[in-house]
Amino acid sequence: MHLETCPTDTETALVIRAQQGDRNAFGELVRHHHTGVVGVVYRMCGDVSLAEDAAQEAFIRAWKHLPDFRPGSSLRNWLYRIAVNTALDTLRREPKSPPTGLDSLNIAEPQAGPEERYLQKERALIVQQALLSLAITSRAILILREYSGLSYQEIATVLDIPLGTVMSRLNYARERLKELLVTKISNQEAEIA
Amino acid sequence: MPEHVKEWLSAYSDGELRGNRLRQVENHLGKCPECLAELEQLQSLSNLLHEAIPTGDFMMTERFVAKLTLNLPRRSEAPHLHKALEIGWWLIPFVLLGAWTFLQVTFALSWLTQNVWDAGLLGSAFPWLQFNPPQAEWFSTLINLFGSQPGFIDQTLLQVLNNANLVIEDWLGSILWQALLAVIYFGWAASWWLKQTNQLSQPENIQTFAQ
Repeated sequence: MHLETCPTDTETALVIRAQQGDRNAFGELVRHHHTGVVGVVYRMCGDVSLAEDAAQEAFIRAWKHLPDFRPGSSLRNWLYRIAVNTALDTLRREPKSPPTGLDSLNIAEPQAGPEERYLQKERALIVQQALLSLAITSRAILILREYSGLSYQEIATVLDIPLGTVMSRLNYARERLKELLVTKISNQEAEIA
Repeated sequence: MPEHVKEWLSAYSDGELRGNRLRQVENHLGKCPECLAELEQLQSLSNLLHEAIPTGDFMMTERFVAKLTLNLPRRSEAPHLHKALEIGWWLIPFVLLGAWTFLQVTFALSWLTQNVWDAGLLGSAFPWLQFNPPQAEWFSTLINLFGSQPGFIDQTLLQVLNNANLVIEDWLGSILWQALLAVIYFGWAASWWLKQTNQLSQPENIQTFAQ
C-alpha cells in the first residue's frame, strides 16, 4: 500500500499498536513510508549504500521514539524530520564527495537506447552534483519541496525553522541551481551538437 | 512598470501565494516579459530536477522491512508503564483543581464553625469544637514574660496587634499555597503547550537549521 492510499485512521490504529510494541504494525508503517524516507536520505546523501543505512537508522530511531509520537498528527512529517537528521549525522560521520562516475547511477527510463541512456545518466550526474553542492539547509528544503512535495508550512514544521526562512532558502537554492545547471547543461548540449 | 516580483516567483510557482500577493504577482506577470521569462526558467528547473535525477537502486521494500525488523531494539520502557505515566500526566491538572477545592472548602467550613461557636449558637453542644483563642508566638512570649494582666490599654493594643498579625499570617499563608498551586498548574499548561508545538521535535538529536 502506498503512502497516499493509506487511510489516516488505519495509520493511526497502526501507530497505536506499534506504540504498544507491535512490531508487525510498525513494519506495516515502514512499508507505507519506506519510499519517501529513502528518497529523502538518498537525495541528502547522494549515495545508495549510505542512504540505505541511514534509512534503517532513521526507522530504528522512529521505533525508539514512537511512544512520544502523538497519534493523529502527521507521521510522514515526523519521519521526514528524523530522516533529515539521520542523513545529516551520516554525512557528518562519513563525509561523501559528490559522485563522479556514471556507472553507479540508476535512472528512471530504462527503455531508452544506449546513447540516450548515456546522456540521461550524464545529465543526472550533473543534477546530483549540483544538488550536493548546495548548503545543507537549502538542500534539505529543496528536497522536501521538489521530491517529497511538502508545503512551505510543512517544511517549516519538519525543519523547525520560520516560514520566511523556508522561502528565502528555497529562492537561494533555486538561483544557485540555475547558475550551476544552465552552464553545465548548455555545455553538454554543445558537445552533443 | 511596477516593481518586479522575482522574489515571489518561486512561491508563486509552488502555489504557495494567497490573496493580495497572488493577485499582485499575477497582474505583474501579465505585463512583465522579464518576470514571465524568470518564471518559465523556474518551471524548467523544476522539470529538470524531476527528469534528470538518479533514482537509486535500492533493496525492495519487503527485504528492507525484514532487515529492519531483525535490527529493531527492545524498547527500554514497558508500554504499560509509558501509558501509566501518560495518564498520570493528564491527571495533574485535575488533582491540582481537586486539592484547591478541598482546601478552600475545608477553610471555609472551619471559619464558619469557629464563628458559629464564637457567637454561642451551638450552646454547650459539641465541646470538642471549642477553639482556643489563637495567639501569635510573640504575643504568647510577651504574656509569659510580663504576666497575663497588663494594663487595659496595653492589653487592648496587644490584642489588636495580635489579631492583625494572625490575619496577615492567614492571608499570607492562603496567598502562598494558592500561588504554589497556580504555579504548578500554569507550569503544566506551559509544558503541555510546548509538547504540542514540539511534537515533531521529539526524536533525539535535533539539528538546528535556522542558521
